Amino acid sequence: MMADINYQVAELAEKARAGDRASLEQLVNHFHEEIFRMVYYRTRSRMDAEDLTQEIFMRMSKNLSGLKDAGRIRPWLYCIALNRVRDFHRKKRILSFFGTTTELDAVAQATAGSNNNPGDNVMQKEFRLQLHRFTEGLSRWEREVFMLRFVDHLRIREIAEALKKSENTIKTHLYRALKKFRENPGLRDLLRGEAL
Amino acid sequence: MKSKDLHLDEDQVIRSVVDENDLSVSVRDHLSTCSACQRKKEQIEKELTSLGRMAKESAPLPRQEIRLPFHKPRGLWSWRPVFATGLAVILLIAGVWWSGLLVTTSGEKMTARIIGETENDRQLMAEIDALEEYVPYDFYPDISGESDPDYFVEFLEFVVPLE
Repeated sequence: MMADINYQVAELAEKARAGDRASLEQLVNHFHEEIFRMVYYRTRSRMDAEDLTQEIFMRMSKNLSGLKDAGRIRPWLYCIALNRVRDFHRKKRILSFFGTTTELDAVAQATAGSNNNPGDNVMQKEFRLQLHRFTEGLSRWEREVFMLRFVDHLRIREIAEALKKSENTIKTHLYRALKKFRENPGLRDLLRGEAL
Repeated sequence: MKSKDLHLDEDQVIRSVVDENDLSVSVRDHLSTCSACQRKKEQIEKELTSLGRMAKESAPLPRQEIRLPFHKPRGLWSWRPVFATGLAVILLIAGVWWSGLLVTTSGEKMTARIIGETENDRQLMAEIDALEEYVPYDFYPDISGESDPDYFVEFLEFVVPLE
């Protein structure tokens, strides 16, 4: 089933790379929600996530001809997305340095990412808060690898490709992140309650 | 005791979650037969699966459609940043032009005032010159206290010698 989807996606990527607009649109539709979610959890702002997602797909359509293996479209797209998110945070830090955005904005955004989601329930807010607290306690690479593996559901090989690191390095970061996850009662209690 | 009989410790359970193939063969063998160790591993995996599911449920859905380069031209509303920029440029140009006009107008007013003052000065100087040329003798005898006009001329020559 999964292999079928991967095959179809690779086929779409191949056609899109050859200039087929319909395939490109289908490819965008396939990844839209996934990439938006990935960006949302890294920016904690719906508006920023919308803008960045648009930019990511524009870049994807522009650079698709440079994709060597159509079967590797997912890690390739995540690589673009991660770079855009990194640029976003860098820009934000620069603006904050010049006083254009304040620390207060950052804190408000970090804790209240839910304000722009009217359909939120208490559990979802609590989950986001606990996830944020947990990932804040991880190093940059631990956080990125953990999120890509368990929130974005990338395989280790795909993470290695997206981050341009070896699989062993990815596993090491993942192991460290999981150790910290095991020591985090807040998030685990919430998940255990949900898993029952 | 053989390693095959030893239960996996916390580190090994975590490693098995990351990638079971990274465990030694004996530990892997134990894991495949020990239900207690499998439960430990499955418990972590269940929590992580739950995390993935909750992450999906707790994130909002995108509202905007993705626009690709070959899509139709945008609607009027989506051109609002361009309109806003254009309007700002027009206002800026108008502002610069208006301020230039103000400077010109105030400059003209200033020139007119200077011309007026110069004219007044010129008239005053002309009056002074006229006074110098044609001294109104009739006024000054009162000052000198003498009624004799000749005395007055002498008096003036005494005060302001001509040579």
